[in-house]
Amino acid sequence: MLKNYLRIAVRNLAKYKFISFINLFGLTVGITCCLLILTYILHETSYDRYNSKADRIWRVTRSFNDPNGVVSLHLGTVAPPFGPLLRHDFPDIQKMTRVLQDDRTPMRYEDKIFNEDNMYFADTNFVDIFDVKFLAGNPKTALTEPNSIVLTPDVAHKYFGDADPMNKVIRMDNQLNFKVTGIFTPFPSAAHFHPATLLSFSTLEDSAVYGKKQLETNYGNNSFFTYILLPKDYPVKSMEARFPAFLDRHISFKGAPPGYLPHQGTKLYLQPLTSIHLHSHLDSEAEQNGDAGRVRTFGAIALFILLIACINYMNLSTARSSLRAREIGIRKVSGALRREIVVQFLSESVLISYIGLILAAGLTWLTLPALDSITGLSLSAETLLQPAVLIPVCLTPLLVGILSGLYPAIFLSSFQPSKVLKGLFKAGGGNISFRKVLVVFQFAISIVLLISTAIVFQQLHYMENTSLGFNKDQIVTLPYNSGLDKTYESFRTRVLQDPHIRAITRSSRIPSGRLLDSQGASTESGDSLRPVTTTIKVVTVDQDFLSTYGIPIAAGRDYSRAYGTDTTNFILNVDATRSLGVSRPGDMIGRNFSDGNTKGKIVGVMKDFNFESLRQPIVPMILTLPAPSRPASNYFANISVKLAGDNMDIAKAIDRLGETWKTYLPEVPFEYNFLDARFAKLYQSEQRQGQLFTVFSAIAIFIACLGLFGLSAFSISQRIKEIGIRKVLGAGTGTIVWLLSIDFLGLVGLAAILGFLFAWYFMDHWLRDFAYHISIQWWIFLAAGVVAAFIALATISFQAVRAALANPVNSLRNE
Amino acid sequence: MIKITELQKTYRTEEVETIALNKLSFEVKEGEFVSVMGPSGCGKSTLLNILGLLDDPDGGSFLFNGTEVAHFNERKRADLRKRNIGFVFQSFNLIDELTVFENVELPLIYLGVKGPERKQRVEVVLDKMQIMHRRNHYPQQLSGGQQQRVAVARAVVNNPKLILADEPTGNLDSSNGNEVMQLLTDLNEQGTTIIMVTHSEHDSRYSHRIIRMLDGQTVTENILV
Repeated sequence: MLKNYLRIAVRNLAKYKFISFINLFGLTVGITCCLLILTYILHETSYDRYNSKADRIWRVTRSFNDPNGVVSLHLGTVAPPFGPLLRHDFPDIQKMTRVLQDDRTPMRYEDKIFNEDNMYFADTNFVDIFDVKFLAGNPKTALTEPNSIVLTPDVAHKYFGDADPMNKVIRMDNQLNFKVTGIFTPFPSAAHFHPATLLSFSTLEDSAVYGKKQLETNYGNNSFFTYILLPKDYPVKSMEARFPAFLDRHISFKGAPPGYLPHQGTKLYLQPLTSIHLHSHLDSEAEQNGDAGRVRTFGAIALFILLIACINYMNLSTARSSLRAREIGIRKVSGALRREIVVQFLSESVLISYIGLILAAGLTWLTLPALDSITGLSLSAETLLQPAVLIPVCLTPLLVGILSGLYPAIFLSSFQPSKVLKGLFKAGGGNISFRKVLVVFQFAISIVLLISTAIVFQQLHYMENTSLGFNKDQIVTLPYNSGLDKTYESFRTRVLQDPHIRAITRSSRIPSGRLLDSQGASTESGDSLRPVTTTIKVVTVDQDFLSTYGIPIAAGRDYSRAYGTDTTNFILNVDATRSLGVSRPGDMIGRNFSDGNTKGKIVGVMKDFNFESLRQPIVPMILTLPAPSRPASNYFANISVKLAGDNMDIAKAIDRLGETWKTYLPEVPFEYNFLDARFAKLYQSEQRQGQLFTVFSAIAIFIACLGLFGLSAFSISQRIKEIGIRKVLGAGTGTIVWLLSIDFLGLVGLAAILGFLFAWYFMDHWLRDFAYHISIQWWIFLAAGVVAAFIALATISFQAVRAALANPVNSLRNE
Repeated sequence: MIKITELQKTYRTEEVETIALNKLSFEVKEGEFVSVMGPSGCGKSTLLNILGLLDDPDGGSFLFNGTEVAHFNERKRADLRKRNIGFVFQSFNLIDELTVFENVELPLIYLGVKGPERKQRVEVVLDKMQIMHRRNHYPQQLSGGQQQRVAVARAVVNNPKLILADEPTGNLDSSNGNEVMQLLTDLNEQGTTIIMVTHSEHDSRYSHRIIRMLDGQTVTENILV
């Protein structure tokens, strides 16, 4: 029986090539989108699962809360003493490891010097908790001794070529020597961090590097990723519940009012390793994480595209039901039950879906590199071949076949043989309104995607072009190096001698980065200082920061080398004065203020500017100068250089800057970034989202139009006699085209209204993630509607014009 | 074999009510060859649909081999139909996408006959109908007469007790028409009961008895044999 069904299915496919093409093409593209997005989703959800103990590894995170309990900062990193203390106080913790990230540090071997990224200080436990595969060296001991370094083969090759890297010595920042004690395989791409080198944690115990005492007592430097290993299915919540008491036991806040408990101001949490990539968006992460929302969005888009393709199948199958009516009649007369007819039509749609799957598998393989280039990931189609994925994938066409074939099957199997065999069956009758509903649904989805694409790009354009409160153009940023601590003034003078360079400054952080530092500020209240209840972020700068960035002063003055006391003075932003309850910035000038251990006066108020990405609101912040008694490298991590103008030779300016750099820092590679590029990179994920939206909405509209093309072709062929009669009675081509198009245009109009509502709902929600965003404009909706209507009209009119131009004699003679 | 008593069927649309069968009664014995004649719209086709269990009557009784079948459900009707009734239509009603062999095979598939037996039975019938040489052709590659022979082959392949023929020669020239009528006569002589709706006086002469209908009722019955 099944053989008979398949036989007739294949012959029908071959006989009605055009309709078969639309169905097969739609399903193939729909399934391809699903497979591509599935590959992406599998990649995104597989992060860190390669670790054999993945479900037992937890990351310790720390939040800082204002007196109202509102989290002002939540870090993925914690202070170094927490790890050992947790291990001590909670015996259930089987292992603990601390990891300290270090980037852009110059490393040298003989004449080869590179700024290394992705360097991590890690202890021996690191390899017990994470799966690290050693290619050389002993994993148990490689990270035990101070000044040991373990490299990936790529890094090793960079320094040592083909020579054996083991026991060779690499010099870090011209200060410390590290002996190579091992080579390890790089972490897979689906890991939330990717060390290129591991440095022994015990190195940090050297007081010249960090200091043992600091590691044991410094609760202020929250830079240490801390991971713990717990027994399987451990009740983590119960451990978290004991963290407040743990905090109260071990830390104390200086100057805290009586009765104040540390856990009121800070909290510790445990985060499952496998949820970091998609669910953790903390203020400090090792790398940029993914986004569960985006994964869900693209999953939904894939399903919608598949649904559009399924709808094409449903529509075209029911529309051309008259072509199969006689066959159904004969089968029923020959003894077929309705159930058997349903199974026959389902087997046809399932067959088409499976052909679609086979074609889609090939298409996925071909198009995956394109998806890679948009997402910046290296996705592998092989992930689809694991049994846990392959089996559902192979069952999907069954589902798709049933979904798209069920309605046509039920509809077709309901034909009365007594009518269809006598030719009394009227084609396409009865189910027209359902088909219209389906067309409306298809176009509504397409219009939602169109509008979403437009809004994503509008927001991107807004973020890239809106004024940040300073001019981010023509600013070059470099990593600050301790080699300049003693020679900076001379370096600065030399740099400024180049007429291509207007200004140069140093700072702890630079715009486009995050504002993570705060030390607890106090402001004047009567005769004393009162702690400020809001969190005020601090950036350490030198006297040239505001002038280099072109940030205007709202009141008071900028820092100046002419004032020796400025090292204890502060500059606030307007938002900070507002948070302190002062509406006129000028009223802040001269007030006493303290931040951490530094006490001084407020000498200036700068206008607000967007330090961070436009996702973040402007927050209260202060600028301070470094204490002259300590090395500048304790404070500064960045140099910013403002070039002299637009009409200049940038390459020449950079060359000269590089030359000066090499004169002062021969041991440090000259590496720079443009600030505007750093800002653009902040919006890379939105860029990618926009590109993917463009691709998928184009596909959705194309498949929907193919369906509309097929449906209109069929519908027009049904009205050929009517067209003939109208023409004989004097109707012109335009009238006929309008007559044939208006029905479908009406459907697209209805779809547009539905699409508007859904698009507004989703995109309004999406925009709320940005502190600064566009407001959705009505003309976007109108434009999307017009575009959709235009595409639909073009699709239909192709056939309508052909029908309208046909000689009526032919159509009437046919009757 | 067939006994209908006061059979009624009315077609209704929103505005018009058409009485297709108006308390129609007659009986057909096993082995009979009966022609049903009458002008268009007299209810012949409706009658044939009800006799073939393709349609329900609104009232009256329909005994098939002594069993009341007038209100059988779909499953029972399909089962009775596929085991006992073969159909021959004016427009042949072959499936264009299936070959001659596959068209004839269809009733056996729904009867659940296994592949090898199916092949053997189809070949016997095709041989009998003298279209064995066309077994792998598609309907559109055959002449009208050949198509109708295929349709007859399909109607008889499951050895039905009853053949319902709806103007079986209506689309054929006289020579092909006569051939088909001869086939039906041969089948009847081998014991198959035949009820044939026709407009052709010539064709009706092949039958034993003619039932003439008008406005859903029997007007006369002529016994020819």
